[in-house]
Amino acid sequence: MIMNNNLSELQNLDDLNMSVDELFSKVDHDDLESEKITAPRYSYWRSVFRVFFKNKFNIVILSLFAFIIIFSYIYPMFSGYDRFANLMDSSAKHLSPARAMDKFGHNIHWILGTGASGESTFDAIWNGARISISLAFICAAINLLIGVIVGAIWGFSKKVDKVMMEVYNVISNIPYILLVAVLVLIFSPSFWTMVFALTVTGWIAIAYFIRTQVIIIRDREYNLASKCLGTRTTKIALKNILPFMTSVIVTLAATEIPSYISYEVFLSYIGMGLSEMSLGKLIFSAESAMVTPGWQIEFWAPVAVASFITIVLYVVGQNLGDASDPRTHM
Amino acid sequence: MKRYLISRVIRGIFSIIIMVSIIMIMVYSALDRNQIFAQDPTYSKLGNNQKVVYKYRKWAEYGYLDYVTYGDYLLQLRNDEEITEEERLSLSSFARTPDGDSEEVAEYVKKFTEYYTSEGYTVSRLNAIMASPKKVASGGGQQLFAYKDIPLVRRAISYFSNLISIDNIHNVKEDIEGRGLTFTTRDPLSGGSFSPAIMGTGTTHKYLLYFDSSFPFIHQNLISINLGKSYAVNQGVDIAETMSSTQGSYVMKEVTFPTGLTEMSADDLHTAKYVAGSRESSKVYADRFTDDYTNVITNKNGLSKIGYSFVIGIISVLLAYLLGIPLGILMARKKDKLADKIGMIYIVFILAVPSLAYIFLFKAVGGRLGLPTTFNMESSNLLMYVLPIISLALPSVASLMKWLRRYMVDQMNSDYVKFARSGGLTEREIFSRHILKNAMIPIVHGIPASILGALVGAIITERVYVVPGAGNLLTKAINMYDNGVIVGVSLFYAVLSVVSIILGDVLISIVDPRISFTTKDR
Repeated sequence: MIMNNNLSELQNLDDLNMSVDELFSKVDHDDLESEKITAPRYSYWRSVFRVFFKNKFNIVILSLFAFIIIFSYIYPMFSGYDRFANLMDSSAKHLSPARAMDKFGHNIHWILGTGASGESTFDAIWNGARISISLAFICAAINLLIGVIVGAIWGFSKKVDKVMMEVYNVISNIPYILLVAVLVLIFSPSFWTMVFALTVTGWIAIAYFIRTQVIIIRDREYNLASKCLGTRTTKIALKNILPFMTSVIVTLAATEIPSYISYEVFLSYIGMGLSEMSLGKLIFSAESAMVTPGWQIEFWAPVAVASFITIVLYVVGQNLGDASDPRTHM
Repeated sequence: MKRYLISRVIRGIFSIIIMVSIIMIMVYSALDRNQIFAQDPTYSKLGNNQKVVYKYRKWAEYGYLDYVTYGDYLLQLRNDEEITEEERLSLSSFARTPDGDSEEVAEYVKKFTEYYTSEGYTVSRLNAIMASPKKVASGGGQQLFAYKDIPLVRRAISYFSNLISIDNIHNVKEDIEGRGLTFTTRDPLSGGSFSPAIMGTGTTHKYLLYFDSSFPFIHQNLISINLGKSYAVNQGVDIAETMSSTQGSYVMKEVTFPTGLTEMSADDLHTAKYVAGSRESSKVYADRFTDDYTNVITNKNGLSKIGYSFVIGIISVLLAYLLGIPLGILMARKKDKLADKIGMIYIVFILAVPSLAYIFLFKAVGGRLGLPTTFNMESSNLLMYVLPIISLALPSVASLMKWLRRYMVDQMNSDYVKFARSGGLTEREIFSRHILKNAMIPIVHGIPASILGALVGAIITERVYVVPGAGNLLTKAINMYDNGVIVGVSLFYAVLSVVSIILGDVLISIVDPRISFTTKDR
C-alpha cells in the first residue's frame, strides 16, 4: 500500500513546465560541510528523564517520594514536635488515634495516637524518618564514592587486585555488628559515629561489585581498540567505562539507600543503634507496646512508615536505574 | 586443582588469622575496659582499694592483663620451697603504709617489686584508707600487686596454638596413679556387653574414644576445639561447648557410677573430665567416682544452640530452594506477564522492607492463624517450628527468584537458545534442558554458603520467636563484654564463610566442566 502511494506521488518533471535551470541549482562540493552529521542533539540525562517520565507510574512514585521528603524535612520544622511536652500528663499516654483526637482536637498531629510519653506518634515518626533518611543518604553517598573509585582501580590493576582480594577476604569476614558495636562503644552512639561505623568497611562490598563489573567490560573489543590507539588508562576508565557503568551505579544506589534504613532499624532493634530517636529506635522502644492490646499502633505505625519509605526509595531508584540504561532509550 | 585448593585453604587460614587479630585489637585495646563493670552488681557494692583490686582481678580473668598479687608471689615461693609455710604467713602481712613494714617484709616486698618490674610489670601498692586513725575504711585495706598488659602478638599466638588440642597422658599436672592409655573391649559403662573404648589416665578426658547408642554411635574426646572460655554469657565454659551442648531440662535415667552407686541422674559419664582434688572437696563426688574424673556434661532434653539454629535453618534452606527455583523459572518463562509482575512485587517487598517489619508481619499473621508465636523447649509441639522456618525461608525465596529470573532472562537471548529453537525444540525443553542448566551455575555456587549459614543462626528471627539458637550469641556477648565469646564466635563465622566459598567454587567446577581454576587446563 505504502509503495503504491509513494509511486503515485512521483511526477514526471515535464509536467511542471519549468526549465532545468529553474528546477535545479548547482551546489559546490564542500569538505567541511560533508563531515557534519545531521542527527538530533543527544543529551544523555535528558533522554534518561524522557524515558523515566514516559512511564506514568514513575510520576506517581516520584510524587510519593516528594511527599516523604516534604514530611521528613519540612514538616518537622513546623510541627513543633517536643517529645516530652506531655510527659507530666498521665492521661495523654498511649492513646489510640480516636481518643487522642478527642483529647487534643482534630489535628494532623494526632492521627496516629500518642506514645509512651504522651508525644504525637505521627510527629515522632517523621522526626525519626528525617534522621534515618539522612543517615541512609550520607552513608550511601560516601560508600558509593569510595567504592566506585577503589573498585575501578581494583578492576584495572592486577597488582592491586591481588592485594585487595586478601583485604576483602579479611574485612568481609569481620561481623558487621561487632564493628558497629565496638565503634559505638568507643565513641558515643551519635549520628556521625553511626555514619562512620557504616562506612568504615561498607565501601568494600561496593568496590568488589564494581571491580567485577570493570573486569567484565575492561577487555571488551572497543576498549582493546582504544588501548591500541594509545588512549591512557584514566581516559579509558572515565570515558569508556564510567558511562557504561552509570546504570549499574544508579541501580546499586537504589538498593543501597533503603538497605541502610533497614540496617539502622536492625541495629536499633538489637540495641546497638543511635541515641537519637530514629525510625529504628522508635520501633525498638515501641516493641513492648506491640504485645499490649490497644497499643499496637505505636509499634506498627513506625514499621509501616519505614517500609513505605524503603519501598518508595527502592522503586524510584530501580526505575531510574532502568531509565539510565542507554539501551532503553530507543 | 589440588594445588589450587591447597593454596586457597592456606590463604583462607591466613586471612582468618589476620581477622581474628583485628578483632582482638578491637575488643581488647580499643574498647574502654571500665565498660565491663557497667552491669556488675559486685563491682558497685565494693569500695576503695577493694574496688581497684577487683577491677584488676576481673581484667585478668577476661584476658586483658596478667595480674599477680604479693600473696600469690609468696605462695609461688613456698611451692618452690624457697620459704617455709610459717615464713610465708609472717611475710604476707605487709603494713598499711610502706614505712610500717618490718625488715623481712620490706625485703620481700622489694624482691617482689624488683622481680616483676624487670619482667615488664607495673607494681602498684595501695596504702590503707583510714576511716578513723584506728579503723580501716570498708574495703580500704592495703593492697600490693603487679600487672602487665598482654601484648597482642602473644595473645594471638597463644590463642591459635591452643585452638586444637590433642588430649595426651601428660595433661594432668598433679600426681596420678597409672598414667597411660588402656584399650578395653568391654566399656564399663555399657553394662558388660561388647563395646570397645579407649580410656586414659592422666589425660583431660577419661574416655578418648567410645561407642554408644546415640548418633553417630562412635564418639571421640581425643581432639577438642578450644575457642576460648566464656565469662559472662556462660560462666567458665568453653565456647564450642556453649554452642554445642544440649539445653532444656534434665533427662534423668538410671546411672551406675564407677563406685557401684546407682542413682537417677542426667550425667553422661562418657564426657568425664579431670578436676584436681574434686573427690576430696565434695562428698557427692566421693560417693560416685573412684577417680578424679568428675566433671561431666549433663543430658538435657533440648537441642544445642547450634542444633536449634541448624534444624530451623536447614529446613528453611530446603524450603527456599524447593519454592524459589520453580517460581524463578515460572517468572522467567512468563516474563512481563502477570505471574512475573506478581513475583516482582513480592521481590521488591522483601528486598526493600526492613526484615524486622516482615518478620513481625509473619508473626502477627501466624498468630492470627493459631500458630504458636514463641518457642518453648519443653513443648513437643512441632508447630512452633513453623513460623521461624517461614520467616527465614520466604526472604531467601525472594532472592533466589530474583537471581534465577535474572540469569535465565540473560540466557534467553543467547545464540545457543536461538539455535535450539530453530532446531524445533519446544519451549519447555529449551527451558528445562538448556537454559536452566546454565542459569543454575551461579545458584549452585551459593548452596554451601546457605547450608553452612544455617549453623550461624538468624539474629532477628531467633529473637522475635525466642528460639534458643546460636544467632543471638554474638550480640549477647557484645552486650555483656564477653571478649572470649566475641573472638570465638567471630572465628567460627569466619571459618564457615571461608569454607563455604571454597566449597562453592569446587561445586561449580564439578557442575560446569568449563570452569577451571588452574590456568594450565585451559
